[in-house]
Amino acid sequence: MSNEFIALAVPALLLFSAIFILLFGFSSHYTKNRGYFITLATLFIAFIISANGVGTKYSILILPDIFNSMVVYDTFSATFISLFLLGGFLTLAIAKSFVDKTNFFTHESFVLLLFSLFGMVVLTMANELLTAFIALEIASMSVYILVGLNKNSLKASEAFFKYLLLGSFSASFYLLGMMLIYAQAKSTNLDVIAEYILHTELHSQLLIIAGSMLIMITIMFKIAAVPFGAWVLDVYEGASLPITAYMAGVFKIAIFAFVLRLFLKDYITFDAIYDPLIIGGALVTMFVGSLLAVIQQSVKKMLAASSVVHSGYILIAFASIGEATSSAASAIMFYLFAYFISAIGAFGVLSYISKGSDKAINYDDLDGLAKTRPIIAAALTIFMLSLAGFPSTIGFIGKFYILTSAIEAGYTFLAFFGVLSAFVSIYYYFKVVMHLYFKEAGHVEVHYGYKVSLAFIVLSGVVVLWGGVGTSLLLDIPGINALNELSRYSIESLGF
Amino acid sequence: MRDTLLLGILLLSPLVTASLIFLISLFFKNTKQTIYTLLALAGSGISAAIALYISYHSYFEKQIFSSHLFTWLNIGDFTIEVALKADALSSFMILFVAPVSFLIHIYATGYMSRDKSYGRFFAYFNLFIFFMFLLVLADNPIIMFIGWEGVGLTSYALIGFYFGDIQNTYAGNKAFIVNRVGDFGFLSALMLLFLSIPSGGFGFSNIFLSLAHIEPFTLSLIAFLLFVGAMGKSAQIPLFVWLPDAMAGPTPVSALIHAATMVTAGVYMVARFAPLYNMTPEVSLFIAYIGALSALFAALIATKQYDIKKILAYSTMSQLGFMFMALGVGAYSTALFHMFTHAFFKGLLFMAAGAIIVAFHHKQDIRDLRGIKFPKIFIMMAVASLTITAIPPFSAFFSKDAIMGALYASGHLELFAMAFVSSILTAFYMSRLMVVLFFNKGEQVAKESPKSMFYPMMLLTLLSVFAGLLNVPELFGGDLNFSHWLNLADKIYTIPHAKEWALMAVNTLFIALVIYNTYKKYAYTNAIIVEKNYGWVTNKFYIDEFYNKTVVAAIDKLSHFFEKTVSSFLIDEKINLTALAYLKLGKIVSMTENGNVRFYALYMLLGVVSGFVYLYWMLRSAV
Repeated sequence: MSNEFIALAVPALLLFSAIFILLFGFSSHYTKNRGYFITLATLFIAFIISANGVGTKYSILILPDIFNSMVVYDTFSATFISLFLLGGFLTLAIAKSFVDKTNFFTHESFVLLLFSLFGMVVLTMANELLTAFIALEIASMSVYILVGLNKNSLKASEAFFKYLLLGSFSASFYLLGMMLIYAQAKSTNLDVIAEYILHTELHSQLLIIAGSMLIMITIMFKIAAVPFGAWVLDVYEGASLPITAYMAGVFKIAIFAFVLRLFLKDYITFDAIYDPLIIGGALVTMFVGSLLAVIQQSVKKMLAASSVVHSGYILIAFASIGEATSSAASAIMFYLFAYFISAIGAFGVLSYISKGSDKAINYDDLDGLAKTRPIIAAALTIFMLSLAGFPSTIGFIGKFYILTSAIEAGYTFLAFFGVLSAFVSIYYYFKVVMHLYFKEAGHVEVHYGYKVSLAFIVLSGVVVLWGGVGTSLLLDIPGINALNELSRYSIESLGF
Repeated sequence: MRDTLLLGILLLSPLVTASLIFLISLFFKNTKQTIYTLLALAGSGISAAIALYISYHSYFEKQIFSSHLFTWLNIGDFTIEVALKADALSSFMILFVAPVSFLIHIYATGYMSRDKSYGRFFAYFNLFIFFMFLLVLADNPIIMFIGWEGVGLTSYALIGFYFGDIQNTYAGNKAFIVNRVGDFGFLSALMLLFLSIPSGGFGFSNIFLSLAHIEPFTLSLIAFLLFVGAMGKSAQIPLFVWLPDAMAGPTPVSALIHAATMVTAGVYMVARFAPLYNMTPEVSLFIAYIGALSALFAALIATKQYDIKKILAYSTMSQLGFMFMALGVGAYSTALFHMFTHAFFKGLLFMAAGAIIVAFHHKQDIRDLRGIKFPKIFIMMAVASLTITAIPPFSAFFSKDAIMGALYASGHLELFAMAFVSSILTAFYMSRLMVVLFFNKGEQVAKESPKSMFYPMMLLTLLSVFAGLLNVPELFGGDLNFSHWLNLADKIYTIPHAKEWALMAVNTLFIALVIYNTYKKYAYTNAIIVEKNYGWVTNKFYIDEFYNKTVVAAIDKLSHFFEKTVSSFLIDEKINLTALAYLKLGKIVSMTENGNVRFYALYMLLGVVSGFVYLYWMLRSAV
């Protein structure tokens, strides 16, 4: 498959499939099951196609005559696209039981899911600020509505409105920032801006610096960094579990894909100016995030708060990007993968045992699960260990790379703080494990059914472990080395 | 590729079958025993076949099989590889470990056949072989340590196999804890090595190349600490106390783990580090003395034991002492050869003891088993006993005699004397055991052992008899094939043939005399009943009590002290305080999460403003 074909086929497939379901939804032949499986198949095929582009190093402009170098397809975007297509696929596959047991997953929900993925694909390939904005909004709009999918739940509607309001508010910063940059660089193309920065003095870059910071604020909002991410608890709580997983795991990857491109192409020259800001953001994010996570009673809210902490870890690597470019950038990629696979698994387990009910799952609801459902308990334990960064899970390797990149960049104190908040995170993650294994509960054995969901949960658990000890002993399954190589490759394809 | 495949399958087939058995026994309660049997035998059988193939090629074609699986850690310029290597020494190890394991597996299918935890037993058993292979095939000490710990773990699990009786669990704990002391030595040695080796890999060949750069004191310390590890695993003074208690496990376990394979890991390790020990003669001499003392001490205790398995356990410790003596004077391949023959005859002795125990309803006291009738077992056990007492031409005659020769030639006559006395004592306690069991009046008649138990024993009997032929000294027209194959850094001792003849003759004569006298004393008399069973020897020199009073009690006191002051006051309280403060702070911070969008927007604005204030402050001076 030629790379150009892949670059066009993946978004086209997502878009056409979305439109097809949109129309099919009105036909009398439509059932929820069919819609579900069409979406799942689309995601799978798109993933397979996209995975073909991973591996070799290249960078092409897609149809430059039409798109005028607004979109670029390189190993970097191919890797990220495959990553979140896989994420979308896994989320949906695990959510099978949840989808079946609830009545608000109408055909529009699948359409919206595909639209949001389409937006993310374009966002990842965007080489230009305006394209990126449109793509970001396509994805965000779809996610807003997905949050409020359950119209009967007051909480969901509230979350939807909050997210929409604040999201629009933050988007205005982006537009303002873009305007400022355009005023000075006379272009919104990342390469042109980079060229401009390279050839001018600092005093004629002031608007770009200010504009870039405004854009960064939108991004900080999207990744829920403190103080821009105050929405995260309410919204994650209000959204139904698969959607929360989708936002925490998949949506974040796409955002980071764009930020990483932005950073490596343009911001890197302003590294000295931005570093203190990012470091401050990382510290506050990790600290406040872990404070919030510690006091939560509901497991879902704890995971939401801890996702803030994980954004903080990634910000550590962003701060290190100027000094240790290649190791920090690949650390970010690796960490994103590590986090998404563990988070999707963890949320997946919650959605699996919630059986589609609206009720928040508290720690106490997990009591004695290890006795009645040992496999689910073991899987959840693995995900918790990985999120806490326990050795021999993929989460450990992810943190290890992030912290080494920080030390390499000379930010030892930042690495130290990262370790400290990882230490605190043991408290709230192991609380889950403690409730699973060491609390007696008289509750009766529940049959959850849905072997498919369970199978994918177990699969994620295996990936988490495999990524942590990864060997090429038996089969050529990519382990740590391969994933690390992959991220290094794709970073290099950006031309750095 | 071929090497990777062979070594990979050799290593992984027991692991895979162990996991399968484990899973099956976990999920399917009513599985037929046949399935477990098939899996267990397949796992050990495949690796035994490959092991024979590898050692065949190693012996005849001097091939080295090596396989680099993956890089485990890569820190700076230091890498730790997960690599396997079957050089001559490793091939030699698997040559007896794998087939003996296989035979004892077959035996165990008969021995354990009526046990309700049949599956669990074989899961552990197969897991044990996996770790044992990892230990002997590892190409660097770290992987070796994984195997080392793994065999310790499975040994622990198997000693406490009948956990219904709490005493067995205690025995398992004892073995585990005493071994931890040794492991601490091993681990410290590895860390010292890690620090001392400049750079490059941590593989054995690289370590040996770098030894010359290490200063002598550190080198001696490393050698000593490594040997502490060996003391624990191979039950030498002072870390031997676990071995007699380890007999609480099922008899196949005693045969495989606590006689033929695992306990020899210490000997293997010292031989593996032969280049190191050649550079530290004082540590080597220390090893020889520890070995001599252990041999003598254990042989002495064995003379006053009444439990079949305990007698054999002390005998194992004593024979290991012989091996360490040989290692200490630098006769590495001689020590290894004795280990080789020992695996056969000691495995056989335990299996015979197991057959007797099964046949006579779990009686183990030889006073209760006087004059049993069990002809087939008698013949095999007699062969094994004659072998261990080093009667020519059985295999141990060649191996033990070589050790005595080396000791004599090394000039350490005190070591030789201790070995000689131990050897005499060996003859005594073995013939005492045999005579009491079979040459007394008694009515107990056994029914036949199952075939699955009988045939492996028969094979081991043949091996006990003939294995010696593989390393015939030149005195008998041999050419020491094994020693040449192993090609270790042996010190070569030569003594005149006349002296060698004399040594051998005197030794054999004494042994024969002892056997005759023992027969006269115990055969068809009640000497065993009336002999005094109290005093220092019977009570194992009160070593257990001594340890309990000194080491254990001291540590106990110290732990209580730490528990009260350091742990609960200094650590727990402070940590709890921090955690509480954190929770309080969290409650305060969570007030910002009040659910009001206007507040959230305000936070964002605050963030934006502070960002711009920073930018202004930063750029004001720059522009």
